[in-house]
Amino acid sequence: MVLTSERRVIGNRVLLTLLVVAVASAGLLPFASLSPNRLVSGQPVMLWQALVGWQLAAFALISAVLLIAAVAKPLNARRSQWLALIATLPLLALDFLVLGDYAHRALADASPAARVSQGATFWVLLFVSALVAIDALQRLRLGLAKRALYGAAALAVVVILFSGDLLSPLSIMREFANQQDNFVDQLIRHLLLVGGALLPALVIGLPLGLMANRRARLRDGLFSVLNVFQTLPSIAVFGLLIAPLSALGRAVPWLGELGVSGIGVTPALIALVLYSLLPIVRNTYSGLAGVSNGTLEAARGMGMTPRQILWKVEIPLALPVILSGLRIVTVQAIGLVVVAALIGAGGFGAFIFQGLGQYAIDLVLLGAIPTIVLAVIADFALQMLVGLSRPPGTRQGSKS
Amino acid sequence: MIELKGLTKTYADKNVVDDVSLTLDTGEFGVLIGPSGCGKSTTLKMINRLIPLSGGRIILNGDDVIELPAEQLRRRIGYAIQSTGLFPHWSVAQNIATVPQLLKWPKSRIDDRVDELMAMFHLDAAEFRHKYPHQLSGGQAQRVGVARALAADPEVLLMDEPFGAVDPLTREVLQAEMKRVHQQTGKTIVFVTHDMDEALQLATRIALLNGGKLVQYDRPIELMVKPENDFVREFIGQADLGLKLLSRRFVHQYQREPSLEHHATLPGLDHCWQLDAAGSPIALEGARLDDDNEITEVKPEWTATPDMSMKEALSRMVWFRVMVLPVIDENGKLIGEVGMQGIMGIESDIVAESGLNAGEQAS
Repeated sequence: MVLTSERRVIGNRVLLTLLVVAVASAGLLPFASLSPNRLVSGQPVMLWQALVGWQLAAFALISAVLLIAAVAKPLNARRSQWLALIATLPLLALDFLVLGDYAHRALADASPAARVSQGATFWVLLFVSALVAIDALQRLRLGLAKRALYGAAALAVVVILFSGDLLSPLSIMREFANQQDNFVDQLIRHLLLVGGALLPALVIGLPLGLMANRRARLRDGLFSVLNVFQTLPSIAVFGLLIAPLSALGRAVPWLGELGVSGIGVTPALIALVLYSLLPIVRNTYSGLAGVSNGTLEAARGMGMTPRQILWKVEIPLALPVILSGLRIVTVQAIGLVVVAALIGAGGFGAFIFQGLGQYAIDLVLLGAIPTIVLAVIADFALQMLVGLSRPPGTRQGSKS
Repeated sequence: MIELKGLTKTYADKNVVDDVSLTLDTGEFGVLIGPSGCGKSTTLKMINRLIPLSGGRIILNGDDVIELPAEQLRRRIGYAIQSTGLFPHWSVAQNIATVPQLLKWPKSRIDDRVDELMAMFHLDAAEFRHKYPHQLSGGQAQRVGVARALAADPEVLLMDEPFGAVDPLTREVLQAEMKRVHQQTGKTIVFVTHDMDEALQLATRIALLNGGKLVQYDRPIELMVKPENDFVREFIGQADLGLKLLSRRFVHQYQREPSLEHHATLPGLDHCWQLDAAGSPIALEGARLDDDNEITEVKPEWTATPDMSMKEALSRMVWFRVMVLPVIDENGKLIGEVGMQGIMGIESDIVAESGLNAGEQAS
């Protein structure tokens, strides 16, 4: 009885919880911090101290809208979810806007070395808007096109906010300004490392997955070997590779000229390929194994050649699972490349370790945040690709 | 025509198919039947070489199947299985077009053939062409599976327990449809089942296997009236043998001139039909089980047609408590009658057999 009467009042517990978290964070945790220079930790600034009047009104309005979406009564469930989904965009924008606006005002009459950094409440509001959006998207079960449209809208909001000089006084943006050329170099390097690892991993992993599917006897051995790679800590692998690779680079001069050495890109790529193999091989194998025996028997009985069965039946049916594997390794590789900066491979990890060394937190974030953004974009894009690769008529969102 | 000569399949020194020889003429509906593990599916799959032969030969219209490339052989043979094996990522039309595509037919010919087959299986092309297998019911999916097997007009159609996984009601409909399609196309069919009723309803020849050996290969009627041994007798089942026999016989074999006036002296003819101006029966005087003098109004539920099985005719007599049914043509005109006494009246099984053949060829 209690449960049902509660249900009638609260429509969406997840949304309500997130709202409570956001309000509690605004009351208890700092929104920003103000420090005299980049190396000392700053004075906490609470959200209400950073706000001006119209911003407070906007926050109140968005909170009220989300509250209406969270309770059961005035709107039905689907409308509530749409309302929550749309409200995340102004919330996202407002979060950045208040921070940028506060930084402009706070630094106007401060010394040039003074810095404004984002605080816990800024992050909480950012994650709350992301989680509200994810929750609403899942409940609405939108089709691919609408999900992609929302993703593009959120990206557009962020791009517009960063394109002006609204956020330029922020400490992290000043680090960015200092490192601008370097940043683009490291971005390209990061992407090249990820791509350079995924391509050989696919070239090796796809045939291995096919082999595991065809030769049951090889399968167990193959998976135990790949499992060992997966369990080794990445730093240990980098360390283990230093000695043999530098020996190889010295022993075979033309390899050395190609850049094979104990540190740098070569060991990073080798480790990344090894880590990527298991998910690719496993997903290729299980995608192929998921094709029903009846379908395969019919394909043979119809007179398809083994090659036709592979390309016309098995691969199209296994593709969503194979691409899910690619999605896992892409996100994993984007994260692992950060660690590869330790052995001098470059990428966003370089900022992180440099920042750690200098105790400059904003430099660390300059490496960490783009890495997270890259991972989220790659995950979202590959998720779309997985959806598109599903056999027509079975895609999520289409009626059957 | 398919000839199996000394066909043998050995797994781990055990003959799962043991020296099976039989000939199935063009246009026959052959059923391989037996308890599970008797080798019936293995035999079927050796015909299109999904399972390699251990010994013996299979001759398909004069060609030894071993001498043909496997893929080329399979494109000459239609194949339908229990799980349908429809390609889940292809539409109904694409599924049906599988073998014509492999044979590189021109597109317009493929489209025409797909429409033709969908019409044959009563699948509305506008509605079903672009549906995907997961959107079909079990019966619809099985129809598409059989249509796909027939697409390239194969010389032979192999069916491996195609109706084993659908509900009993749908199975009956599909069996009736299969019978019609066989008569329409005149295809040679090899059909595997473990269901004797299904075999008796569909087959023109039944091969009963046990432990890999061919026990008896005969027409359905002969299997019933001249079983080779106790195993055959037992497998057919003795409890309702009479009804099984009647299920293979048809009203046109039993019907006689309708009685249009009372013949009180002749046994079984002391009734008479009342007709309307068009010659359709409207009432029956007498011949009730419970009351001989009753006048019974003729209802469509207890009329018979010449191609109705005698089992069904008998069932209607019992249910509607009449000793005799009117036999009507497609216009509803009275053309004969079939009675309780007549059921016993077939002289010999040789008569039944020849009558049966005439009937099957005529329809």
